[in-house]
Amino acid sequence: MGGFDFSNYARNAALQKQGFPQPQATSTGTTIVGCIFDGGVVIAADTRATSGEIVAEKNCQKLHYITPNIWCAGAGTAADTEFVTALISSQLELHSLSTGRKPRVVTCMTLVKQHLFRHQGHLGAYLVVAGVDPTGINLFTVHAHGSTDKLPYVTMGSGSLAAMSIFESQWQKNLTQEDAVKLCAEAILAGIFNDLGSGSNVNVGIITAEKTTIKRNFIIPNERVPKEQSYRFPRGTTAILKEQMISRAELRKYITIVDMTGKGTVEGDAMEVDA
Amino acid sequence: MDPFSINGGACVAMVGKNCVAIACDLRLGKQTLTISNNYPKIFSYGDTYLGLTGLATDIETVSTDLRTKVNMYRLREERDIEPETFTNLVSSYLYQRRFGPFYVSPVVAGINNRTGEPFIAAFDCLGCTDYSKDFVVSGTSSNQLFGTCESLWEPGLEPEDLFETISQVLLNSMDRDALAGWGAHVYIITKDQVIKRLLKTRQD
Amino acid sequence: MKAEDDKTRILNDHCLMAYSGEAGDTGMLTRSFGRGKVQFAEFIQANVQLYGMRSNCTQALSPSSVSSFVRTELAKSLRSRKPYNLNLLIGGYDTVNDKPELYWLDFLAAKDKLPYAAHGYAQYYCLSILDKHHHPNIDLEQGLKILRMCIEELDRRMPMNFKGVNVKVITKTGIQDLEY
Repeated sequence: MGGFDFSNYARNAALQKQGFPQPQATSTGTTIVGCIFDGGVVIAADTRATSGEIVAEKNCQKLHYITPNIWCAGAGTAADTEFVTALISSQLELHSLSTGRKPRVVTCMTLVKQHLFRHQGHLGAYLVVAGVDPTGINLFTVHAHGSTDKLPYVTMGSGSLAAMSIFESQWQKNLTQEDAVKLCAEAILAGIFNDLGSGSNVNVGIITAEKTTIKRNFIIPNERVPKEQSYRFPRGTTAILKEQMISRAELRKYITIVDMTGKGTVEGDAMEVDA
Repeated sequence: MDPFSINGGACVAMVGKNCVAIACDLRLGKQTLTISNNYPKIFSYGDTYLGLTGLATDIETVSTDLRTKVNMYRLREERDIEPETFTNLVSSYLYQRRFGPFYVSPVVAGINNRTGEPFIAAFDCLGCTDYSKDFVVSGTSSNQLFGTCESLWEPGLEPEDLFETISQVLLNSMDRDALAGWGAHVYIITKDQVIKRLLKTRQD
Repeated sequence: MKAEDDKTRILNDHCLMAYSGEAGDTGMLTRSFGRGKVQFAEFIQANVQLYGMRSNCTQALSPSSVSSFVRTELAKSLRSRKPYNLNLLIGGYDTVNDKPELYWLDFLAAKDKLPYAAHGYAQYYCLSILDKHHHPNIDLEQGLKILRMCIEELDRRMPMNFKGVNVKVITKTGIQDLEY
């Protein structure tokens, strides 16, 4: 746990000193929101992942599973949100197995904040933690440095301002499930259309005491128009200098045969170091 | 002096109808000086293929480390690693070095041996996985590759058509990248056979 | 380091390593700290032989194995507090497959197997000559002729005098010093 390998750190720091810039990680320059209603909680996210100004993925999933009744929406460094949620999910599963109780949202939130605080903000995970447990309906945000909030409606990520403007102007007490879903989707749409870091579709998760429903691509406001022409190339367009067939049976051989008397390794992309 | 663009290189993988393809360029450079025009960036791990672009020293280290891991997996499990499992292996291996990353952008391509489903994935250098149903790209020409893939790829391509598409995507992207090119390898992977081709390319 | 110092090390009967590093890494000063490029070369020389003994090989390590070993060691050093800063060429004759091999390694421990290679400024002056004149299956005489062209070019165009060269030839029979 937290078992990071720092063996490259000295080298990379030396390279950085020589003027090499630091690598560009995939980030979820994102809009994520959460909102409680009478009987449960809704979380929602856009589906764009960016690497600098390039859209790395157009339909990614930013709603992360923790337990059946607890889900997280993640913004920030994509690798961190992915691995932090997976780690906490695993810890909670074991915790609930050993206590024989259903996992609680506060427990999840505490584990996440303690983990993030321990790493002093170096793990760039910004999460919305939502769920329903025996204590009731819960909605939190956790920032990368470990601070947390507990609010009836929350937004995070680069599109949080756009999304919050929707909540601040339209939210009211005692929402119905339908209205909460609509409000969250509307907030994500505000992010999609007004924040460059957010885009594509709306994913929604609805958690109630009875069940959890994840609606992938709940709204698809940016569908790609089908191409009117095919750009298929006629076969034989590309010039080939050499061709090699590798049969699957050959691949499955567990030994690389080296002929010590003759020409060397038998052809085929077999594994290099086997036996 | 970006570590990702010292040595140069490009890699792309695509899904077709019951097949996948993965292709890479062959250049190894040091900034603008070309050292070699025979430096393949695709490595095979049984039925699963891995493309690696980025810093050459890390390409070597990562590919050999993973070879050790996959060989250990085969000894333990007495079977080949599936692309999905391999993807998780690559991801956790890279994330272990979250605070001292390898400067590589890996791409995985393969066909699940049990289900026969084509599979591709790409990663950033921290191990964040990008599962894709159409195409994935990496390397110094990734911007060009994104563009050509977006316009030339279409669903349901047969192996031979997929070969033409991926080859033209790579060829035309490389021509707009000074740091990549100088030859290309293409692998067309179907359920029962793999075809590896060396493409004729510009040498400038 | 003196001008006439030999910047090569014999790793085994059929393997030779040539090295170059930045000026600061070469002098007696660094040698006394035990971190000069000479130390790396000596370390590699001793360890290739030790590694060969440990892995219980009846035959000496092949050039490809030697190059892999050297790369791993260089990569390890790169991750230490003070890494070695040197570029290497490893030439060897694979007696099993009956083939000569040349490996190029830079200070970042990138490795490639090449038909011809150079490091430093020689790359800019010589690679184009080698591109033009080298082809597979040239004999020793033709090889030396191309080498002479390269050195003449360096003599003519380099803004500094590099005070002569060492030429060594690795063949099936072993490593010989060549009068140049």
